[in-house]
Amino acid sequence: MDEKFKQRVRERYQRALQHGERFWPDSIYKDLLVSLGLFILLVGLATFVGVKPEPKVDPSDTAYIPRPEWYFLFLFEFLKFIPGKLEWLGAIVVPSVAVAVLFLLPLIDRNPHRHYSKRVLAISVMGVIVVQMVMLTIMASVPAPAPEQTAIKTMQMLAGLAIPAITLILLFIFSTMAKDPAAQRKSLTATAGIAALAIVVLAGGSAIPLQRNAPPKEEVAVAGTIAEQVAQGEELYALNCVECHGADGDVTVIQGVEGLDGKVVTPISSKDVMYAFTDDTLFNIINDGLSELGMIPFGTANGGELSPGEIESIVAYMRYTWDDRMELPEEQRVGGIPSLAEGEVPSYDVHIEPLAKRYCVSCHRAGKENNNYLMTSYDEILNTGDDAPNVVAGDPNSILLQVIQGHTVQGVNGEIDVMPPNGKLLKDEYIDMFVRWVMAGMPQTAEDAAAAAPAP
Amino acid sequence: MASKIYQWLDERLGFDDLYKGLLDRPEPRGTWWNTLGSATLFLFTIQVLTGIFLLVYYTPSPDHAYDSIQYIMNGVAFGWLIRGIHHWSATLMVLLVFLHMLRVFFTASYKFPRELTWMIGVLLLLTTLGMGLTGYLLPWNQRSYFATTVATEIAGLVPWAGPFITRTMRGGNDLSALTLSRFFAAHVWLLPLTLAALIGVHLYLIIRHGESEYPTEED
Ligand code: HEC
Ligand code: HEC
Ligand code: HEM
Repeated sequence: MDEKFKQRVRERYQRALQHGERFWPDSIYKDLLVSLGLFILLVGLATFVGVKPEPKVDPSDTAYIPRPEWYFLFLFEFLKFIPGKLEWLGAIVVPSVAVAVLFLLPLIDRNPHRHYSKRVLAISVMGVIVVQMVMLTIMASVPAPAPEQTAIKTMQMLAGLAIPAITLILLFIFSTMAKDPAAQRKSLTATAGIAALAIVVLAGGSAIPLQRNAPPKEEVAVAGTIAEQVAQGEELYALNCVECHGADGDVTVIQGVEGLDGKVVTPISSKDVMYAFTDDTLFNIINDGLSELGMIPFGTANGGELSPGEIESIVAYMRYTWDDRMELPEEQRVGGIPSLAEGEVPSYDVHIEPLAKRYCVSCHRAGKENNNYLMTSYDEILNTGDDAPNVVAGDPNSILLQVIQGHTVQGVNGEIDVMPPNGKLLKDEYIDMFVRWVMAGMPQTAEDAAAAAPAP
Repeated sequence: MASKIYQWLDERLGFDDLYKGLLDRPEPRGTWWNTLGSATLFLFTIQVLTGIFLLVYYTPSPDHAYDSIQYIMNGVAFGWLIRGIHHWSATLMVLLVFLHMLRVFFTASYKFPRELTWMIGVLLLLTTLGMGLTGYLLPWNQRSYFATTVATEIAGLVPWAGPFITRTMRGGNDLSALTLSRFFAAHVWLLPLTLAALIGVHLYLIIRHGESEYPTEED
C-alpha cells in the first residue's frame, strides 16, 4: 500500500463528503427511527410470544435432547457430518480457522478495489458460506432423518458439507486460472450461483419431507404460575399419593395397599407435618422416599417417575391445600370438581372424571391391587373389574354405589371393602354425585347429561 | 437567564465543541443499511438496562436460580416484560451484529483506513456470542443445563488442552454451583465490560475515519 494509493482514497472520501449528508440530523434520524421500531418489536415479542417455560434442571433425565441457542445451531448441524474421530477437526479447527481468517480479513484481502464487480472472489466465497450457514440452521431446526433415510441423509451431507467445501476450492482455482477480469467474473459468479442454488434445493428438499412427517411435538407441561403449579400438583398427588395417604392426606392406617396393609402413618395434612416440615424437607421425603418406613422414592434421580419440577408442584399443592398459614387467592384456583345444582345430572366428562381422578385412580389403574377394576376412562369404569359390571344404569344396588356408601359386598374374590378403603367415606356431596350419575344412566358428555335430566 | 447559565456551563464543559465534533459532521450519503451498527448499540443498551433490573432479583445458585426466575416472571410487577425484552433483545442482537458485519463486508468498508475497526468488530462479534453462551445457563433449567453440558464438552475437544479447558469452564468435572457462578460472573461483569470497552474503541475509530462511502464503479 503506497502513499499514492492512500492519498487517492482520502481524496475520493473528501469528494463523497461534498455531496453527502449531515450526521445530525440526517443519519441520526434514521438510526433513531430504526431503534424505535426495534423497541416496539421487542415489547411485542415479550408480550405476545414471551419466553418459553422450561422445566427445572434434572441431571438424571438422560433422555433429554440438548439444543443450543438457535445461532449455534449451524455449528451443531455441521458437526453431525463429521465422523466421531475427527470431531475435533470440525468442532475446533474449522471454527478457529474461520474466526482467524475473519479477524485478519483486512490484511488477507489485499485487493485494493471496493466496487462489487471488482471483488467477485471475496463476495462469492462469503455468499456461499452465508447460504451454507442459513441452510444448516434450517436443517437443524427440522427433525433429524432416521438412519434408514439414506437419500435424505446424502442430500443433507451434500448441502451442508460437500458442495460448500468443493465450491470454495473451485472458486480459488478459477480465480487464479482466469485470463482477464471479465472471464474471471463470469466463471466465479456462475460457480457460486450454481453452488448456492444446489445447496438451497438440496437442503430445502430434505427439510420439507422431514418437517411434514415430524411427529407432533410433545408439550411438556411446565407450571408457570403458582395456581398452575397447585393444579398440576393436585393431579400428581391424586395419582401417586392417594393410595397410601388418602385424598385429603388424613389417612392414619393404610388399607388396600399390597404389603402395607395396616401400617400406621402420620396424617400428612396435619399441623404436625405441615408446621414441622419445610418445603425442602417435603421435597426430599418425596424425592428420596422413606425406605425403612415403607414409602418408595418418587424422584427420577432415585428411579421414580417424578421430575424435580413435578415434586415441587406436589409440595405447592400440599402447602396451599393443607397448611392454614398459606392461602391461594380464590380467583387463582383452576380445575377441581364442579358442584351440582338442584336437579342437575352429572356427566362423566365434567364431574365423574375429576372425582375419580382425585379419589380413586391412584389405586384403580394398571399395576395396582384393585380386582382389575380400572377407573381411568369412561369405558373402564363401566366395563372392567372382576365383578363387572360395577355400575348398572338405574340400579341403586350397583357394587360401586354400595361400597362408597359404607357397605361391604361379597364378590368373586371374597369380600370387597368399603371404598375408599382407608376408613373415611367420600363427602356426601360426592357420594350423591355418583348416585345421581348411575341413576341417570351414566351419561358421558355434558350434552348426554342434559338430555337425561328430567324436564323441569 | 437561561442563556447565561448555558454560557457558563458551555465555557466549562464545551457543549458547542462537542456538538460540532460529534454531531454536526458531514457524512457520505448513507442508506438504511448504515443503521445496523447503531441498532446493535441500541440493543446493547437495552440489554444493560434490563439486565440490571434482572440482577436485582436473580440469585446465581443452583438452589435458587430457577425459582428466582419464576419469581421474576410471576411475582414482580412487569418482571415478565423485562425478562421477555432481555430474552428477545439478546436474540435480535446476535442477528443484527451478524447482518451489520455482512453489510460492512459487502460494501468493502473494512479496507484502508478502517482495518482496525473491522478487527475490533470481530472481537465484538465473539464477545456477543460469549454473552449468549453464558446467559443461556443462568435460568438453570433443563435446556440450559444440557446445552451447556454439550458446549463445555465441545470445548474439551481442543487437542491436548481440552480437558483442562472443560474443567476450567465447569469448575470441576461436572456442571455445578461453581459453573453457575463462573458463567454468572462472566455474563454480568467480565463480558459486558469487555464489550463496552471494545464498543468505545469501535466508535472512536468510526468517528475518526468517518462512515465509509458506498463504492462506485471507479473504486
Ligand atoms: C406405598 C405407600 C405410599 C405412597 C404411595 C406414598 N407414601 Fe408417603 N409415606 C408412606 C409411609 C409408610 C410413610 C411413613 C409414615 C410415618 O412414619 O408416619 C410415609 C411418609 C410420608 C411423609 C412424612 C410423614 C411423617 O410424619 O414422617 C410425607 C410428607 C409423605 N409420606 C408424603 C407423600 C407424598 C407427597 C406422596 C405422593 C408423591 C406419598 N407420600 C406417597 C407411604 C406412602
Ligand atoms: C387405597 C386404594 C383404593 C382406593 C383409593 C380406592 N379403591 Fe376401590 N378397590 C381397592 C382394592 C384393593 C379393591 C379390591 C377389593 C378389596 O380388596 O376390597 C377395590 C375394589 C373396588 C371395587 C370392586 C371392583 C370389582 O370388580 O371387584 C369397586 C367398585 C371400587 N373399588 C370402587 C372404588 C371407588 C369408586 C373409589 C373412589 C371413591 C375407590 N374404589 C378407591 C383399592 C382402592
Ligand atoms: C456489539 C457489536 C457492534 C456494535 C455495537 C457496532 C457498532 C457500530 C456502529 C454504531 C457503527 C457505525 C454505523 C454503521 O456503519 O452501522 C459501526 C461501523 C462499523 N462496524 Fe460495527 N458494531 C458492532 C460489531 C461489528 C462487527 C462484528 C464488525 C465486523 C466484523 C464491525 C465492523 C464495523 C466496521 C468496519 C464499521 C465501519 C463501517 C463504515 O465505516 O462504513 N462491527 N459499528
